[in-house]
Amino acid sequence: MDILLQVLANGLMLGGLFAIVSVGLTLIFGIVKVVNFAHGEFLMLGMYGTYLVTSALGLHPFVAVIAVVPVLFILGALTQRLLIQPLMASGDDHIQIFATVGLSTALINLALLVFGADIANTPPHGLRAPVEIGPVRVLTGQIVIFLAAIALVVGLQAFLARTQTGRAIRAVAQNRAAAELMGIDVKRIYALTFGIGAACVGVAAVLVAPLYPTSPNSGTYFVLTAFVVVVLGGLGSIGGAFAGSLLIGLIDSVAGFYVGSDMREIAVFGVFLLILILRPSGLFGSRLKLAHVSP
Amino acid sequence: MSTASPTTTVPRAAPAGAPALPRWQAAGLALVLAALVAVPIAVDNAFVYHVFITICVFAALSTAWNIVGGFTGQLSLGHGIFYGIGAYAGVILAGLGITPWLGMFAGAALAVIVAVAISYPCFRLRGPFFSLATIAFLEVFRVLALHFREVTGGATGLMIPLKLGWEWMVFRERPPQLAIAFGLLLATLAVAWFVRWRRLGYYLVATRERESAAQAAGVDTVRVRLVAVSVSGGLTAIVGTFHAMYLTYIEPAAMFSLTLSIQIAMFALIGGIGTVFGPLLGAVLLVPITELARGWLGAKALGLHGLVYGLVLMLVVLFMPNGLMGLVARLGRRPASRGAQAAPAVPAAAAARPAVGAEILRVEGLQKHFGGLHVTNDVGFTLREGEILGLIGPNGAGKTTVFNMISGFLRADSGRVSVRAPDGTWHQPVSPADFAGLGVGRTFQIVQPFAAMTVEENIMVGAFHRHADVREARAVARETAHRMGLGPWLDVEARGLTIGGFKRLEVARVMAMQPRVLLLDEVMAGINQTDVRRAIDLMLSIRDSGVSIIAIEHVMQAVMSLSDRVIVLNSGRIIAEGRPQEVVRDPVVVEAYLGKEFVHAQA
Repeated sequence: MDILLQVLANGLMLGGLFAIVSVGLTLIFGIVKVVNFAHGEFLMLGMYGTYLVTSALGLHPFVAVIAVVPVLFILGALTQRLLIQPLMASGDDHIQIFATVGLSTALINLALLVFGADIANTPPHGLRAPVEIGPVRVLTGQIVIFLAAIALVVGLQAFLARTQTGRAIRAVAQNRAAAELMGIDVKRIYALTFGIGAACVGVAAVLVAPLYPTSPNSGTYFVLTAFVVVVLGGLGSIGGAFAGSLLIGLIDSVAGFYVGSDMREIAVFGVFLLILILRPSGLFGSRLKLAHVSP
Repeated sequence: MSTASPTTTVPRAAPAGAPALPRWQAAGLALVLAALVAVPIAVDNAFVYHVFITICVFAALSTAWNIVGGFTGQLSLGHGIFYGIGAYAGVILAGLGITPWLGMFAGAALAVIVAVAISYPCFRLRGPFFSLATIAFLEVFRVLALHFREVTGGATGLMIPLKLGWEWMVFRERPPQLAIAFGLLLATLAVAWFVRWRRLGYYLVATRERESAAQAAGVDTVRVRLVAVSVSGGLTAIVGTFHAMYLTYIEPAAMFSLTLSIQIAMFALIGGIGTVFGPLLGAVLLVPITELARGWLGAKALGLHGLVYGLVLMLVVLFMPNGLMGLVARLGRRPASRGAQAAPAVPAAAAARPAVGAEILRVEGLQKHFGGLHVTNDVGFTLREGEILGLIGPNGAGKTTVFNMISGFLRADSGRVSVRAPDGTWHQPVSPADFAGLGVGRTFQIVQPFAAMTVEENIMVGAFHRHADVREARAVARETAHRMGLGPWLDVEARGLTIGGFKRLEVARVMAMQPRVLLLDEVMAGINQTDVRRAIDLMLSIRDSGVSIIAIEHVMQAVMSLSDRVIVLNSGRIIAEGRPQEVVRDPVVVEAYLGKEFVHAQA
């Protein structure tokens, strides 16, 4: 019984991790309607940033947020302005896919060139210390991630619902042309949204770096699951993505323990493929958001 | 319908099966291929051999990928699956004493099965989601290869058995390896060329450009894509077997690799996605970067080639979306000789009109709901041979919905649509392909050209319905184009046409199918008076050739002069039916169009 509780607790913690990584991806997909294949590399860059700040200056990793988040915001906004925006008129799927795949390839290899293939370990500063909650034991850093994920999801929802800019962002997502006619600067909104999405993954990077080793391929490792979560959550629904994250975290943890650790990915991707094929609107999405499947 | 003045038609050279490459391009291609063999032999250095063998391998992989990724536009980022299957099949069978020359075909067979099994459910997915699904499948295969160690050796990988000679595809010296790699490249290019310029290739590109229009032209879009993915997967597996024997060692991370899958696609995009020789060009230019960076700079330059790849990819996407082949095509483009041939006038209607024949299409009790909206309410009518039936009604009456249900694009909630085959038997077709097979052709109200194909190719897609041979289809397409006044634009990409041109292209494509029943959805909307007159003459001549027509039309001039009968639809219901002159005076019809007040005011 205790083991089961521990497995479930691990699953929830893992879910929090997936949630915080995928929030930005969901936002970008929901608003700009672009699948950002370079999202994982944004995470990887943020983790290296955290590593550098922490190990070079000896500061607590969380301090790195001051540097990492603005840098990633700018990187995200620039990606939208310089790479995605010029391609939006073409409406050609393969062009947009290759654009972000190209960015992803370039960033992975840039990291390889600069940092080498060796693993960089960010000093944990106590974040890897276990905490006992009743019968289960989790890491301090995991709890921080879980709480931060909830805060980020709630904060982002409030931002989109309550602020003038948030409303403009939602308007653009609903109908680009109509929003433009209402005087909204659509290009600015897109750049802003992409920037915010990248900034979110910056927050994730700062929290994840002390717990996981950083390497040029770190992004790929996390982002494939983030894609799963986005599809599961109903494409662009931030709340749905959070619920999807917890579900995938639990599946991952349970399958890893009871089926075998090397089969976890099969379970996760199996669920992904089943959802994509059988229920493309996602577990929590409405049937209306089906731009990605033919009728 | 044409605005071009009728002049004498200049007959062109007999249409070829495939468009001949301009001489300088053919020479360039021959030069590149010759260099792939000649350079390593001349330099005679093991490393140079290695670079050129690798170019051949990646060019072949990329060419094979392009059959799916380029021709059909399904952007697979999981082709490592087929490459890995070929590699493992070859090595495992070689370990059991079976020569890789057989092993490669076993791998190909397995790859075909896997390709069909994983593609079939994924074809509904568009753009990035298809790509994501292929990545997910690739990950699943990699994990499976790691898991089943007894077969695959798991993470430690497999060494090939060290048996030398042609029989085992393993050599100490390089030239035989180059010979095999080059042979595979040539074979793959030949298959890609063959696929592209046979009916299949036109069908694939049409499916990529507009799936619904391809279906209306009788293309079984799922089947042609499955054929494409099978050919592509099989070829990839064959190249994979050779590459495994060349590398002498395989492991799951390198075989079922996302990086490799992305690279294959990348070469095709940079060279020119969807062109037969683009992938070759991409590989020739980019592979040496990798190998030189590895060979000369070693560990210092780890990541350098990948960085270059990524940057080149972004630059190509931004500034040269058609790749190197786009550049090549632009260099060689000569000013089009427009006006060298103009459309002959639409043939005058035959003197005597054949009598209206037996029923050919029967619609009974169609019902359709969209949510709470009752869009079609008990609609039933018949169409006779050689008859023109006008379908009119105010906006939102449900006319196009009825069209969609009598052409297979929409399933009715209840009711029946029956079509009489030429042999007199009645059928109840379901899919658009079934309807096309029975000779029901349709146009779309919102025009659906295959934008990236030329006008001639657009019409050929229709002509293929009855003529599998490319030359015949081309001849029919040309003849149809001239008849429709599209002669001067045969070689123009469809996206360059005007709206009137698009409308004519819609009709030309369906006419090339030589339909028995023609469904025309507002083909006269938005064209000028002269063209309306010409269109009316054209429809009469089509009718007189024995085709039955149902036309949705708002241009009353056309409805009145063309229709033998008119059906009026309002709010999903048939409110009037009869001869055109009677129907337009029917108060119920006037009310539907103009409201009750108008009827009262008139009275």
